[in-house]
Amino acid sequence: MATDVVRASWITVAIARDPALVRTVRLVAAAVARRSSDDEEFVEEVRLAAGEACALLIGAGHTEDEPVTVRLNVDSRLRVEVRSEGPAAPQDGISGDVDGVEPWLLLRGLVDDFSLTQDGPRTIVSMSWPFP
Amino acid sequence: MDATLREHGVDLSLETRHEGGFTIIEVGGEVDVYTAPKLRDKITELVGNGQYNFVIDMEKVDFLDSTGLGVLVGGLKKVRAHDGSMRLICNQERLLKIFRITGLAKVFVIHGSQADALAER
Repeated sequence: MATDVVRASWITVAIARDPALVRTVRLVAAAVARRSSDDEEFVEEVRLAAGEACALLIGAGHTEDEPVTVRLNVDSRLRVEVRSEGPAAPQDGISGDVDGVEPWLLLRGLVDDFSLTQDGPRTIVSMSWPFP
Repeated sequence: MDATLREHGVDLSLETRHEGGFTIIEVGGEVDVYTAPKLRDKITELVGNGQYNFVIDMEKVDFLDSTGLGVLVGGLKKVRAHDGSMRLICNQERLLKIFRITGLAKVFVIHGSQADALAER
């Protein structure tokens, strides 16, 4: 278990709406998760969830020039927040590639502390995990 | 190897062969929002060529997201429209968990090996 964790500092990654860049977010999320735990199942879950939220929001916005912003923080829990300009209703069929799979189903099932909110024009996905 | 997508450090490999009346697609690497369209295009191409019975071998898949799941569901719909089938090979717990969470473990027939997938009649 990694113990020398610098807590309460946010890491922010902003990416253009390019699906090729979602992998970068996954790599950062995995690195942050690995700072707080060497439990690979935990790291994999954070990696999957961060990438999934990012991928869904990349296809959801109406302002193509605006980036998708991912913020990660390690304090009492590991927190990941993904923000995008534009609405993304929970029932929206956000990406045509998600054929027959309800877009938010995987995240809702994967992450116990998951919320999808609208803040004015923004959509915010918030997730957090206790440390294993 | 039929196709490899390697841009921005992303890697998806697709190898196709035929055995026992099935078209086997061996998928390797990451199947995500960026690479999944490549798999969808391969399945669409093969269905267009009259191949309707697939085994999708995911043993070498490192990562799968809901876009990848969507491509598999879309492929299943395509082959079923021709009375075909799609069997999956997956024995990685982290991927099986994704199928269970989304309820797709009940939709797909998932085998642990190519031998098992090809043996079932």
